[in-house]
Amino acid sequence: MDDLALERYFDDSIANDPSYMVEEELDLQNSLKESHASSTNSQNSSNLLGETETSGRLSNDLDLSFLPDDLGNQSSTTTVLATAATNQNAELDVLEDSGINLDDNLHDMAAVKCQVTVNLGSESNASPFCPMTPMTPMTPMTPMTPMTPVTEKSGIIPQLQNIVSTVNLGCPLDLKFIALQARNAEYNPKRFAAVIMRIREPRTTALIFSSGKMVCTGAKSEEESRLAARKYARVVQKLGFPARFLDFKIQNMVASCDVCFPIRLEGLVLTHQQFSSYEPELFPGLIYRMVKPRIVLLIFVSGKVVLTGAKERAEIYEAFENIYPILKGFRKQ
Amino acid sequence: MFAAGLKCPGCGSSNIVDDDLYCQAQLVCVDCGTVVSEGTLADDPVGGTDVSYSRTTAVTKKPCLNLIKGLERVKEMCRILRLNGEIEDLALTYFRQAYQQESFINVTLQRKEVLAGCCVYVSCRQRNWPITLGTISSLLDADQTLVGGVYQEMIKILNIQAPFINIADVIGAHVQEYKISAQHVTKELAEDSKVLTKRAVALVELAGDSWIVTGRRPLPIMMAATYLAWQSLNPNKHRLRLSLDKFCHLAKVQKRNPAVTRITELKEVLCKLGRELPWVRETVTQDDVVRLVGDILEHRHTLLTRALRTHETAMQADCSQASALNFPTEEVAPSQRSESRDQTADASSVVQLCPTDRMENQEGDDSHQTEDPEPNWGKRVLFAPPCVIHAKRRREEPPVLNVTGDEEISDSEIDSYIRTPQEARDFALMQKAVSSSDSGNS
Repeated sequence: MDDLALERYFDDSIANDPSYMVEEELDLQNSLKESHASSTNSQNSSNLLGETETSGRLSNDLDLSFLPDDLGNQSSTTTVLATAATNQNAELDVLEDSGINLDDNLHDMAAVKCQVTVNLGSESNASPFCPMTPMTPMTPMTPMTPMTPVTEKSGIIPQLQNIVSTVNLGCPLDLKFIALQARNAEYNPKRFAAVIMRIREPRTTALIFSSGKMVCTGAKSEEESRLAARKYARVVQKLGFPARFLDFKIQNMVASCDVCFPIRLEGLVLTHQQFSSYEPELFPGLIYRMVKPRIVLLIFVSGKVVLTGAKERAEIYEAFENIYPILKGFRKQ
Repeated sequence: MFAAGLKCPGCGSSNIVDDDLYCQAQLVCVDCGTVVSEGTLADDPVGGTDVSYSRTTAVTKKPCLNLIKGLERVKEMCRILRLNGEIEDLALTYFRQAYQQESFINVTLQRKEVLAGCCVYVSCRQRNWPITLGTISSLLDADQTLVGGVYQEMIKILNIQAPFINIADVIGAHVQEYKISAQHVTKELAEDSKVLTKRAVALVELAGDSWIVTGRRPLPIMMAATYLAWQSLNPNKHRLRLSLDKFCHLAKVQKRNPAVTRITELKEVLCKLGRELPWVRETVTQDDVVRLVGDILEHRHTLLTRALRTHETAMQADCSQASALNFPTEEVAPSQRSESRDQTADASSVVQLCPTDRMENQEGDDSHQTEDPEPNWGKRVLFAPPCVIHAKRRREEPPVLNVTGDEEISDSEIDSYIRTPQEARDFALMQKAVSSSDSGNS
């Protein structure tokens, strides 16, 4: 997630609405309530037009299927906007997780949020606020990492660096033919019995075997890995083989992160002897084999941690949340 | 006993006896004494007996020759290292156990010898006898990576744990190797090994506290500590002029290249502490610090606390200066920044930096910062692992795609990966040409 973009987003919203506090969902809702109380008659026809515009834009971006079918009139649309705004906020967090530059999106968001506060101010009946209470559970449609207060969790999210997946193309392949007909393939049967194929987007490498099985490596997320595997299958298809896409499975995920403080590896190996192995003569990092979840962590003195051996993203996050308090314990010796 | 169905060729009687008196079994006629047959030797099957060695009972009765040799090697190594009987017995047990395992029974002799060395190593560590893998490798005259690999495998198979050995314990043994006592070198350069050990231990402890030791190979650090200890015990011009190369040559020890960087790192730490000495007027540089090492080590705990305090006040001063110039920026919602604001110094204090400090970096050298959005916390603390202070520049990573995995794949993209028929023909011709020229040359 680009820091500067996030800063700009917050700056924008502050510039537009002085009473705006953006910390968490609940704060957002509270501030909206406050701005309702404080805002005056700042609405006009252009605002209403703007509202319909934003709602149009919103319906393009958001999946609003979770809302009840029979919506009322104006009040319901503001509810829609409000919940949509919070939903967008939730999405923002998800996207933040996967590290995307949301530059243009953010400006939209800022505009939307202003409109929402203004429109809520324009409403005479206070009932639209009922759905806006913090008690209403907002069920986001997109899977997200839970927003938890910083004091309990580490606040650091490991970034996925590599995903290894396998898929069965379901038909025997002629590797010599593939190596001849494809631009991005290399095949050296004396060295290795598979064709090594690469594509540019997503930047990945695949090992394609004559049995029809394929290994895809180098992707940075599960979806990317799946897309890349499909592209390889499509290439093989185009070359004339009846390739299918069977049993796609993620075999391994590697992630890394930085806790930003040095770690006393000697101390860690003394207290967690059953799990750790630290041999400075052989490898500079400590190898920590966590039992639950079954993940191997490489912990270095610089504070960088590499997690590997996971089949699911949640295992990596869980493993890191387990190790973080242990590492914090070794911060001040 | 009577051998049935045989007739003596001499007298025709059937009184044939199996005579076992001599080494060769003979069938002898009782009446006339003629030897009927004596051919068990000649009748032996060609090419050895029918039953192979591994299937005979001799296998269980007599242990494998290589096992015996291996056990002898273990005993030999224990004697060279002058280990006590307990460690030797433990090593022998481990070797017997490991030898039977699949991964060590049908391997090269060198690997079996390395296994013997690893058993000795593990036993030493379990009985808290300080020893490094480097010593074992030099004893075995094998590559350290090979020894390391065998060691890891053996640990996994035998399911044992070896407690961690502190470098401060090993350095005593290490210093003994240096031939630097009065009987070997001139008086100006000679040093008593006990005194040398004591000072080297202090230096190594200081290095450990300031993050020089963790994650690094111990041998170069020990060499650097010994060298600096030797220089500082009598900092006359003879010693100061001698480089590490010459010192190792003098002490008849093989020089390790990383030791040079370790010396520099150690001297830096000593300089940082030396600055806090109240009776030192001029600035402490890398060249002068050797003379002060004695004083520094004697008062190192006090100096450490003083240095940290000075650093802390310096940070606060810079921080308040920076905040006076900056616009206050909002605190960013939960992210890794919250952690980078805190920092570790050393044994005593934790310094809290103001949040605005995150955006600024008052330590010079911004060349590493410009591409790296993550502020280098290593430059803000007094002591940090050198890998953090001199962080490697990461190459630019392509931005992470936001894909669902089920998108449409454009035909044009796939076509770009497939050769045109002309290309394929050219490629095939070229391959044939290359392979024919190869076969022509070879």
